[in-house]
Amino acid sequence: MEYKASELISKYLRSRKIPSTACSGCGLGMNHKIVVQAIQELGLGVEDIIWGTSIGCAGRQTFATWKGDGFAGTHGRVYAIARGLRVALPPEKHLILTVGDGDAFGIGLTHLIHAARSNANMTVIVNDNLGYQSTGGQYGWTTPQGSKTDSSPYGMFEHNLMSEGLDVMHILKGAGATFLARHVSMDGLKAVETVKKAILNRGFSLVHMPYPCPTNFASRELGSRNQVNIYRWIKDHAAPLGQEKEDTIWATGIWYDASNSRPEFSQMVWDTVDKIRRTGKI
Amino acid sequence: MKDRIEIVASGFGGQGVVRLGQIIGETAVKQGLHVTMLKSHGTEMRGGYVRSQVVLSKDLIDSPMCESPDYFVALSSAAYKRFKDTVPEEGLIIYDPAFVDEIDKGLECSHKTFPAKDLSMKHFNNALFANTLVLGRMAGLIEALNKDLVLESMLEIIPKFHDKNRKAFQIGYDYADA
Amino acid sequence: MKRFLETGNFAITEGAILAGCRFFAGYPITPATELAEAMSLRLPQEGGVYLQAEDECAAMHMCIGAALGGMKAMTATSGPGFILYADPYGWAIGCETPLVVLNSGRVGPVSGITGAPGQGEFYLTRYPTQGGNFETIVLAPNSAQECMAMTVEAFYLAERFRMPVTVLADQLITDGFEDISVPENDGEMKEMSFRVWPRKINQGPKFYPPSDEIDIAPVVLGHNTGALCSDWTPTEEGYDIEEVEAHHKHAYRLIYKVRNHRDLFSHHYDKKFMSDDPDLIVVSFGTPSRVVNSAVAKARSQGLKVGALRLINLWPFPDELFTARSKYLVVELNWDGQLVREVQRAVPKDSKVHFLGICGDLPTMHDLLTTFEKIIKNEPLSRRGWELEAW
Repeated sequence: MEYKASELISKYLRSRKIPSTACSGCGLGMNHKIVVQAIQELGLGVEDIIWGTSIGCAGRQTFATWKGDGFAGTHGRVYAIARGLRVALPPEKHLILTVGDGDAFGIGLTHLIHAARSNANMTVIVNDNLGYQSTGGQYGWTTPQGSKTDSSPYGMFEHNLMSEGLDVMHILKGAGATFLARHVSMDGLKAVETVKKAILNRGFSLVHMPYPCPTNFASRELGSRNQVNIYRWIKDHAAPLGQEKEDTIWATGIWYDASNSRPEFSQMVWDTVDKIRRTGKI
Repeated sequence: MKDRIEIVASGFGGQGVVRLGQIIGETAVKQGLHVTMLKSHGTEMRGGYVRSQVVLSKDLIDSPMCESPDYFVALSSAAYKRFKDTVPEEGLIIYDPAFVDEIDKGLECSHKTFPAKDLSMKHFNNALFANTLVLGRMAGLIEALNKDLVLESMLEIIPKFHDKNRKAFQIGYDYADA
Repeated sequence: MKRFLETGNFAITEGAILAGCRFFAGYPITPATELAEAMSLRLPQEGGVYLQAEDECAAMHMCIGAALGGMKAMTATSGPGFILYADPYGWAIGCETPLVVLNSGRVGPVSGITGAPGQGEFYLTRYPTQGGNFETIVLAPNSAQECMAMTVEAFYLAERFRMPVTVLADQLITDGFEDISVPENDGEMKEMSFRVWPRKINQGPKFYPPSDEIDIAPVVLGHNTGALCSDWTPTEEGYDIEEVEAHHKHAYRLIYKVRNHRDLFSHHYDKKFMSDDPDLIVVSFGTPSRVVNSAVAKARSQGLKVGALRLINLWPFPDELFTARSKYLVVELNWDGQLVREVQRAVPKDSKVHFLGICGDLPTMHDLLTTFEKIIKNEPLSRRGWELEAW
C-alpha cells in the first residue's frame, strides 16, 4: 500500500524538521520514508517508539524528526546508549536507530557488534551514503574500491567491508544478530516489508540501506551532481540475493532471519535479576 | 591500651599476610575499636613482598601508615630486610626462622622467633596452617586483642578446615618462648 | 547500624545502593575491579543490574542509556579508563544527565603502576571532556566511610544539578580495609547526613530553559513527553541548532547552575588546627590528607603552629578557603604538581606556596615534619630529589 508522504508526516513527524536541511537530491528521505511507512503499517503510534540517531548526514537529518521521544548519541556510541536504555525501558517500547555507515561500521563497530552479541532489542537502520559525506566526502568502510573521494584522490585502494566478496553482514551474523537485511533506497515497498520484519524481531535487527549522495559522492566519483546518474548507478549495482551479477555490490533482501530465536538481552537481564533476588542464584 | 597500635605483617604472596591483617582488624572492630588496614604488593620480581599495615585505635585514625610498628611479623627475609629498621626500640619483631635466616643484632627492638612453618609441618604434616599458628601467637602477644574474638573472626574469615584451624590457633596461642 | 571491616570499594557499593543506584556498567581495571565485582554481587540482590561493557567508553554510555530510561546509574574506573569517559562525560554534561563516576587514582601516565596510589587526575576531572563551557562537580573522600558518604552525596548532587558527578578516590582508599558503619534505615541515614534526591521526569516542552536554576527535572525517555537530547547545541525544546546565541544560553546554564548554587556543597572541606592563624597551612585531599593530619597534630605537640586544610569538594575549586595570608604547603600524590597550581592561583598575592609531591606511596610523617619545620624557619627546603625544584 502506498501512502502519501503528507499523511505520514502529519501523523509521525515534527513539522519543524520537514523539509529537512539535507542537500538537494539526497536519497536519505527515501530511506526515512520507508521506515516511517513500516511503522504506520504495523499500526504503531508515536508513543510506541523511542528514536535514536547518530552523527553524520543520516543522524543529523533524522534527529528530532520523530514526534515522540528522541536522542542522538556521540559518534559511534549510540549502540551502547541503546543497550543501557533498553534495560531501563519497558519491553513493549520499540527502539529504532537511524545511523550512518561511518558511525555503524567505522567508529561504532565494536559497540555495534556487542549490541548484536547481546541480541538487545533494537532496529538499526544503517543509511549508507558510501563514505563520510557530511564532512565533505571522504572514503569510508563501504566505499567501493577504486572510488575517488576527497581523501582518496587516486581512488580508494584499501580492502573494504563491501569488496572482494566481503560483506559486513558476515561480521554481524557471527556476532549474534537475529535479523539482517539490505535494501537500496529505490526498493520502496519491498524495503518497507523488510523493515516491518526487522521491527517485529524482539532482538537485534539491522537493515543496511545504501542511498544516493549526489552532492559529494556522485560529484567526485561520477563527475556529476545530477541525481539521475547516481540513482541509476546505485540501482545498477544492486541485485536481489541469488541474482547477483559480476558488478553487483549490494545483494538485497533478507540476508538472515532468526527472528525471536535467541533470548532477548533486556529480558534475560531482568529475568536473571529476578531469579537472583528470589533464590540467590541463577 | 595505647592510643594507637601499629601492626605490620609481611612475607611472600600466598602466605596469608593480608588475611592475617584482616582477622586482626575484624577482631578489633568487634571490640569497638577503629581500624585501618592497607595492603600493598611490592614488585612481583624476586625479592618482592606482600604487606599489610594494620592500625588499631580507640579514636578515629588519621594516618593509616605504620611508620613505627609495635609489632612486625616477618615471614620472608626480603620483608625483614625491608621493614626491620622501622621498628622502634619498644617494638617487637616476630619472625619465622624458616624464612628469615639472619637477624640484625644491631637493632634496639626485641625479637621473638616463632617457627610457624615447622610447627605446621609437625602437627598437620602440611605448611598450610602456619598462618593460623602465627595468628594464635599474635593473639597471645598483643594484649589489646581479645582471644575469643580473634578466634571468632578467624572462623568467619577462613571458610574451611575449622577444626584444624582451631587447633593451630591454640598451639600458636600457647606457644612458650624458648 | 551494621559495623564491619571492609574495603572502600565495598563502602562505595553500599553507598550507591543506599542512594538508589540500580544500574552499574563497568570494565575491569585495577584498582576499581573489586568495586565492579561487589556491584555484580550486590545489585541483583537489590533488584538492580550489573553489566560488563566492551570498554570504559561503552560502560559510561550504557549508564547514560540507563539514566535516560529513568534509572540511577554509576560507573567506576581508574585513570586509563577515565580518559575513555571523555566522550560520554561530555554528552552527559551537555544533555544534563545525572550520573555518578568513580575514579580510583593510580600511578600514571598510561598504565604506570597499577596497584599503587596516585593523584594525577586533579585537572582531568575538572576538564574530563572537550569544548569547555561547563563546570564539573568533584568530591574527594579520604576514608572508606567517607567513600560511602560521598557516593551518596554524589548521587544527590547529580540529580539536583542534573549532571555527572565524579568521586575522585585513590588506590589506598578503594583497596584498603577500614571499619565502616552502614546505616540500615532512613533514620540512621539522616543521622549520618546522607541526603537522597529522587529521579524526576521532565514533562517538557522546555527541556533546556535558559536559566541558572537547579532542580530542573532531567530528560527521561519512554514517557512520550517529546523529550529530545543530543550532542548538538539544543534549543529550549531540545532541537539541534547551530547558533551562537542559543549556545551561549546553553553554556550559561551549564556553567552557572553550578557556580550560583555552591552553597549546596561548599561545606565539604575539613579544617584542623586552623583557628589561630597558623604560620603554615598544609593543603591536601584524599589519603595523603590523613598522614598530613597526623603530622600536623605531631607538629603542634612540638610547638610548630601548623594547620591542615583538606579539600573534599575539589571542583568547583573552593577559592573562599584561601583567604589567610600565610605560608602554604601543598601535599599531593604526583610529582608534577597539580593542586598546587590551583592553590597558587587562589591564595592572597604575597603568600608563598610550597609543594611536596610523592607518587605510588604516601608521604611519611618524617618527610612532612621536616618540611614543615624548614618552611616555618625559612630554611631552604632540602633538595632530596628534583621534585621541589619547580616550586
